[in-house]
Amino acid sequence: MKTPGKLFLTILTLCVSWGAPVMAQEKTLVMAMSATPKGFDPDIWVPGQIEAAVNLYEGLTKYGTRSGANGKVEVDPSKIEPHLAESWTVSPDGKTYVFKLKRGVRSPFGNELTAQDIVWTYEKSALQKRTGQFMRTAARIEKVEAVSKYEVRYTLSDANRIFLGALTLHLPAIFDASEAKKHATPDDPYATKWLALNTAGYGPYHLQALQAGQQAVFVVNPNYAFKKPYYTKMIWREVPSPATRVALVRTGQVQYAEQIPFQQLTALRADNTVKVESVPGFGGATVRMNPRFPPFDKVKVRQAVAYATDYAAIGEAVFLGQGTRSRSMLNSPIAGAVNAYKYETDYNKAKQLLAEAGYPNGVDVTLEYSTNWWWEEPLVLQMQASLAKAGIRVTPKRIPSTEMLARRTINVWTVPFLTHLTSSFVPDPSYNMFLTAHCRGSSNVNANCDAAMDKLIDASVVERDQKRWLALIEQAQNLQADSATFIETFLPGTHEVFAACMKGYVWKPHNRLVWKDLSCSS
Amino acid sequence: MGGQTARIARFIGVRLAVSAPVILGIVFLTFMLIRMGGQDPVAMLAGPMADEAMLNALRAQLQLDQPLLAQFANYMVRIAHGDLGVSWQGGIPVLNEIRHLFPATLELVLLSVALAALIGIPIGMRAATKPNGWFDQISRFASLAGFSMPTYWMGLMAILVFFYILRWAPAPMGRLSMEVAAPAVVTGSILVDALLEGNWRALGSALAHLALPVACFTMLAAAPMIKQTRAIVIEIMGSDYVRYARANGFSAATVRRMALRNAATPLLTFLGSELTSLLAAAALIEYIFSLSGLGQWGLNAILLGDFAVVQGYVLTLALFSMAIFMVIDLIVMLIEPRN
Repeated sequence: MKTPGKLFLTILTLCVSWGAPVMAQEKTLVMAMSATPKGFDPDIWVPGQIEAAVNLYEGLTKYGTRSGANGKVEVDPSKIEPHLAESWTVSPDGKTYVFKLKRGVRSPFGNELTAQDIVWTYEKSALQKRTGQFMRTAARIEKVEAVSKYEVRYTLSDANRIFLGALTLHLPAIFDASEAKKHATPDDPYATKWLALNTAGYGPYHLQALQAGQQAVFVVNPNYAFKKPYYTKMIWREVPSPATRVALVRTGQVQYAEQIPFQQLTALRADNTVKVESVPGFGGATVRMNPRFPPFDKVKVRQAVAYATDYAAIGEAVFLGQGTRSRSMLNSPIAGAVNAYKYETDYNKAKQLLAEAGYPNGVDVTLEYSTNWWWEEPLVLQMQASLAKAGIRVTPKRIPSTEMLARRTINVWTVPFLTHLTSSFVPDPSYNMFLTAHCRGSSNVNANCDAAMDKLIDASVVERDQKRWLALIEQAQNLQADSATFIETFLPGTHEVFAACMKGYVWKPHNRLVWKDLSCSS
Repeated sequence: MGGQTARIARFIGVRLAVSAPVILGIVFLTFMLIRMGGQDPVAMLAGPMADEAMLNALRAQLQLDQPLLAQFANYMVRIAHGDLGVSWQGGIPVLNEIRHLFPATLELVLLSVALAALIGIPIGMRAATKPNGWFDQISRFASLAGFSMPTYWMGLMAILVFFYILRWAPAPMGRLSMEVAAPAVVTGSILVDALLEGNWRALGSALAHLALPVACFTMLAAAPMIKQTRAIVIEIMGSDYVRYARANGFSAATVRRMALRNAATPLLTFLGSELTSLLAAAALIEYIFSLSGLGQWGLNAILLGDFAVVQGYVLTLALFSMAIFMVIDLIVMLIEPRN
């Protein structure tokens, strides 16, 4: 055979043999993710950071679990258990907590967790003034001090119900300060630049390699102080196209694919090569009205919008029968959630309310949305169709995600009518209400400022009597529903797509996949 | 010889002088448009729990609280020092990212345009020899199909058929299989680096991963190539000198060779525009096949309002276009006997 022919055959053979499907190695889990993480410091939010960080950093406490209705293990938000801290004591006024750290908790670098690591973490957050600092403020943490090598004291400005729940989170992250300090510089005493692209925690995994835009590889922390994870290596591959992610999980090339479109879920459920795990979660798809802009300054107009919304059609056409109807600004499993949102579709009632508000001939409004969430555009189109039946003429307007984020920010509030997902990391009712419905709440996107509501929320945060606390929460939910600044539609739910052998998935309030829970049955 | 070198040097000098204000204009327009487009990445960067104080601090840190012209002046000073800024998403210098990602896009585009030229030019020429004949009709239909099929759809179909159903293609998940060690980075192109290293395993894997995206892009690029070649050659075949050549009894092959030589100038110019337009269009193919190239990076930055990256991306496209057209015009100048 002539040389060019040989060369062609060699290349062809190489292409066929080495292009063959990749076999997942033992105890390696390959994930098809929309993008590689842009950073790992939980204090600095960048795309992909939370998804990684919840597996790299862990809290002093954790939520307990219980057996759910279908026999599956689920998080019990009412039960907070020790984790990196093995126990704690609380002062009678509820303002001082002393945590005793679990001994022998080591980072991948071999350094043991001490109280100094916790103090260093809070100092770093205070310097950065970002997400960790917000959590500190929300939990009303005034001071964090080392009492001894293994004891740390938290002093709160007010006794509050958010505090222990906030400590379940990965932020402010508890760093291995000894390792991080090695990378500090005079200009960057807390090694923030190093920690942005490297990891140093006490969690089950740590970063081995990052190739931006291609893949990130995480390996198990050999010194992890708790049950050793089944998977020793996690390969995070960037696969931006959802259709490609579906093809990869269906062919077994990856064992997990994130952010799969709703339209594909039904077909995937019928496919025995994959497993779809669905939970309602507590994130609600809402349409918000800003009462600072007419006509939404009139409560009757807002209520008219609530009555003119075709909930059944949204459930079928937008959420394809896979969502759960939202009945409050709080939803299960958040404690104290009640069915406060009682609006059902009633066009005549909507027309009557509009007329009473001074709009007998209907009203023209613009509904703005972005593409932060897949359901926003279909929801807006559905709203446009149903509101038209009551004389509310909607003009949909799509704007860039960054513009939406900028304009809906607290104290900016320049979007009169918008779509928004209500969600939070902590399933505490007071925290959730503060975040989204309090005038100072950072996820208050529609200038939901009502002195009575703020008073109820503030009272609930510090109320220590269970009965009175539940009463306050119920009152706040009813008040919010009556004001109708939120149109509560559906909880889209969390739908995770795995290879068929995968088991152990447990939904967590931060709504991100926890790798250490996973294993494969074959 | 000395005269030729001086001619080339003068050409390059003039072209660079003319291009400088164009590039400056592109940089200015990009800078202003993305800032005036209503995007503000601060809210996104600060995270879902940011309060107003955090937003203001971050805005000041990123110098976004300064007047636009002051921001532009700072940016130009940094560019002059070879600093294209830092991605706000990952804190990675934009120039490093471009160096890292551009070779992947270049591999895709150069291979596709080369294949498109190898396929499109002969088909276009053959079609032009007998306009409206059966071959011409088939080639026109193929060309129309290439024009009509959206790149995105073509990519998905290719994955469905060749990866999902037939299992011939490797997983559309990057430029190399996971179990294959990447060659040491010299140029950034896996194909070239694997060849330099003699790493045949990596070369095979890289070729296999490029096969489908290149095939899709080739179809996209070959369609206008067929059409353009056909039109150019038909025009040349109808010209006086071809009629004269035929009248003098030259063979059909000789006439075709003459036509090809005369078609070289417009075809080269067209190839240049194909290269530049495909570079800009690479984003979708890279997105579908997870190739992690410049286009995918730029597209993501546009969606997330990563200003420094968008500016760096547009600047790279502009400089690449300028370089390509300069090289092509230079070749045309050298091969064109009338110059």
